[in-house]
Amino acid sequence: MTPLRLSLAVLIALLLSGCGERVASPSAQAGAAQQKVLRFTFMAAEAGFDPVRVSDYYSGVVIAAIFDPLLTYDYLARPAKIVPNTAVALPEISDGGKTYTLRIKPGIRFSDDPAFKGKPRELTAADYAYAIKRFLDPKNRAQYAFLFEGKIVGLDKLAADAKKSGRFDYDAPVAGLETPDRYTLRIRLNEVDYNFSHVLAFFMVGAVAREAIEAYGNDTNAHPVGSGPYVLKQYVRSSKMVLEKNPNFREMLWNAEVGDDPENRKIAVRMQGKKLPLIERVEISVMDEAQSRWLAFQRRETDLEYQLWELTPKFMSDDGQLKPEFIQQGIRMDRSVDPEIIYLILNTQDKIGNEPNPFGGFTPEKIALRRAIAMAYNVEDQIKVIRKGQAVRAQFPIPPGVAGHEPGYRIGIPYDVRLANALLDKFGYVRGADGYRRQPDGKYLILKYFSQPTERDRQFDELMKRSLDKIGLRLEIQKERFAELNKLADQCRLTMRHSAWIADYPDGDNFMQLLYGPNSGQTNSACYRSAEFDKRYEASRRLPHGAERNHLYREMARQVEADTAWLLTDSRYRNVLVQPYVVGFKKHPVYAHEFLYMDMDPRESKEARP
Amino acid sequence: MNTPAASMASAGLWTLAWRRLLRDRVGMVSLALVCGYLLIVIAAAAGIVAGDWAREAGVNYASPVFVGAGDSAPQAIAAVPAAPAVPSEPGIVDPLAGVLAELRQNLAAAPPEPPRAATLPLGGDKWGRDVLKKAVKGTETSMIVGLVAALLAVAIATVMGAYAGYYGGRIDDFLNWLYSVFTAIPYLLLVLAIAAVLNQKGTLTVILILGLTGWTGIFRLVRAEYIKHRSREYVLAADAVGASDAQRMFVHILPNVSHVVLVQLSLHVVLFIKMEVILSFLGFGVGVDTVSWGSMLNESQAELILGKWWQLAAATVAMAVLVTAFSLFTDALRDALDPRLK
Repeated sequence: MTPLRLSLAVLIALLLSGCGERVASPSAQAGAAQQKVLRFTFMAAEAGFDPVRVSDYYSGVVIAAIFDPLLTYDYLARPAKIVPNTAVALPEISDGGKTYTLRIKPGIRFSDDPAFKGKPRELTAADYAYAIKRFLDPKNRAQYAFLFEGKIVGLDKLAADAKKSGRFDYDAPVAGLETPDRYTLRIRLNEVDYNFSHVLAFFMVGAVAREAIEAYGNDTNAHPVGSGPYVLKQYVRSSKMVLEKNPNFREMLWNAEVGDDPENRKIAVRMQGKKLPLIERVEISVMDEAQSRWLAFQRRETDLEYQLWELTPKFMSDDGQLKPEFIQQGIRMDRSVDPEIIYLILNTQDKIGNEPNPFGGFTPEKIALRRAIAMAYNVEDQIKVIRKGQAVRAQFPIPPGVAGHEPGYRIGIPYDVRLANALLDKFGYVRGADGYRRQPDGKYLILKYFSQPTERDRQFDELMKRSLDKIGLRLEIQKERFAELNKLADQCRLTMRHSAWIADYPDGDNFMQLLYGPNSGQTNSACYRSAEFDKRYEASRRLPHGAERNHLYREMARQVEADTAWLLTDSRYRNVLVQPYVVGFKKHPVYAHEFLYMDMDPRESKEARP
Repeated sequence: MNTPAASMASAGLWTLAWRRLLRDRVGMVSLALVCGYLLIVIAAAAGIVAGDWAREAGVNYASPVFVGAGDSAPQAIAAVPAAPAVPSEPGIVDPLAGVLAELRQNLAAAPPEPPRAATLPLGGDKWGRDVLKKAVKGTETSMIVGLVAALLAVAIATVMGAYAGYYGGRIDDFLNWLYSVFTAIPYLLLVLAIAAVLNQKGTLTVILILGLTGWTGIFRLVRAEYIKHRSREYVLAADAVGASDAQRMFVHILPNVSHVVLVQLSLHVVLFIKMEVILSFLGFGVGVDTVSWGSMLNESQAELILGKWWQLAAATVAMAVLVTAFSLFTDALRDALDPRLK
């Protein structure tokens, strides 16, 4: 971000902090008492709401509320279970697992939008075919293109042609993506893919209307038009998003697999059979700092808070229970380890932009440099000090709770500063007069670490700097905002950064693809390309979940360690705090728009007082 | 040399001021304190003390000695299971396996590293760094920022004040306009805006920010002094002997307004030390590899949640003592330099 833009951002932030007061004014609260309004925050700004143009968690929450995928997950079933959404039933799978046929419920309507010129617009199978094609349109540079790349018969050919001609032909027939009638979608795959139902249940694969996409051109990120439960009512970029109930939303009744869990039963008693969505309005504000989020929650300006890792000691005792004073207030806490991994990427490319990458490449001395960094980075301190103990060490690229996780696996890169120093000495990274090491050819060695300008990331900067100082490596820290960092990641321009990946669907493939060579520039932000890894990954895609695939996954994990493209650090606990009047919340392992399945009691009279 | 002979000559402005200062007990004590701090700064800058402040001397959040290890004693850090580098998958080759095995063997013979202390004189911070050393090293940063920024601000203000006051007219109008623009913007907002534009953390940045925004008050005073002095007889006399404008401004008038400048200088040192703390507290101050009292206070925000108060206490006390001493010294200096209080 340019300095001018940053200073403007500071000014705007200051102005908006003034506006915040107005939002909480008595009149607004009185209005809230009549309407069911759920308010919560994002700790980082969203990128936008065009499913093919964004990939961050925060944008995903809003996208999930606006667009309708064919399939979805049961709200309460654990492990996550796929159920039909706009499809009449689960896909009919034929041809030995290569053909998926789905029938869409007739009569579903898109939300009204000027793009439809006042006419009602029905959701059809063609909208899904169009949505899928968009992921491969080179113009969109979709991060999630990997979901469909190489999978659907004839689609890659179309994408290759588009790359040549510069125009993606959406009208050309695709053998693997047919709509025999208005409500039927038939997908033919090149090879058997056991995860394809997960892909169809992923909230980024919701139906979009071609008219709307074409009408808004380059501005689709600000004008999402879907058939889902909510519409985007108000949008102030990087600051505020307001969702309102979609008046055209189809009839959807609360129905979930309750099982024996007493918590689930309590929820079901309240919710079973009700017409969704019950929450009429959702207000999301962006708040970078944990302290602000905590204060907002305490003042009941937010109804859900789930991003308070560093402040956990304020509300939780050492044994993982909510402190009594909050229990008395009726606040509830839902605690679980997220199906996520946090990892330090070490970019393996030879060049970054036009600059040589000091630790890029696969020669032993470059791997040794990356390995030394990985061995010197103090993950223990990251968990203990930065996370305040609210995380567990990640050992395997696939987190617990996701198919393919290997509980007995231990990471092969130990924390060992002395060994790291010895390794660097061995490979000729000699210390100069300033105490910092030079490259083996005597050139200066400066490593770059990217992070966000927040208080939390300042701690990561410190830890990174301290860790590298111990092995005599000079670190330069570059500050960028979250959206900017993601942009740089797409261009393979991040040298070192802490990244996080949370399951899009509960299968190991969703994590292993983060390291697949052809996904560089999409989700593989270490831009790691290893023939050994890729070979195994491709084989793993043809296998169902089971021992054979797990073996490949173990080998792949070891290969990444051998090449040291990542250092896995941790998976965080998710402590969701819920205000007493919020009904039916249960953290879902895959999606983050639980509010679709929730309700709210009236806020207490105390809250409505002026 | 005998004293009566010395007192025969009429004592100058500075000698008289010094004598008056010597009689001021509070002034002398605070001067001694300020000198003490200066010595610390010099020692720290030379690396004699606190050179290793960044070392993890104690365990994370080590308690101060007088509190005792108590419940803040380290939770035993679970050693990462000693797994051999990338084992157990015969199909995967680690290019470094051989080298690492050899290095491990060599290291096994080397003596183990000394364990980290459970308590430190004034406790440790989250990484286990010695808070006392941090406070000492922070003194260096804070004092250097305060002094250099104040010198910069005073230099800018004196030159501009001299031109505005001495020449008057268009130059005065222009400089006054500039002054008005600067003072019209709320100070903290201006500082934050400049910090955002420079977009680079570091001591030099902080100095520049404070120096470039802090000159306005001094400028107004210096300008008034110059207006007062420019038509005095001694200036007219200097004109008569052919002194140039610059000579009259800086050779003849400046020494006669220097007491104002000096008092303002020391007032601004205090102000800028506090401003640096605020800037660092807000995250616009020094970078992560430097310690200042402000960054210590910033860190202690998160520590207080955990009940670790010692870093907050150390930084606060260190700053409060210096700021109080410097303010009292400034007071004494102003009294000593004021000819009417002879």
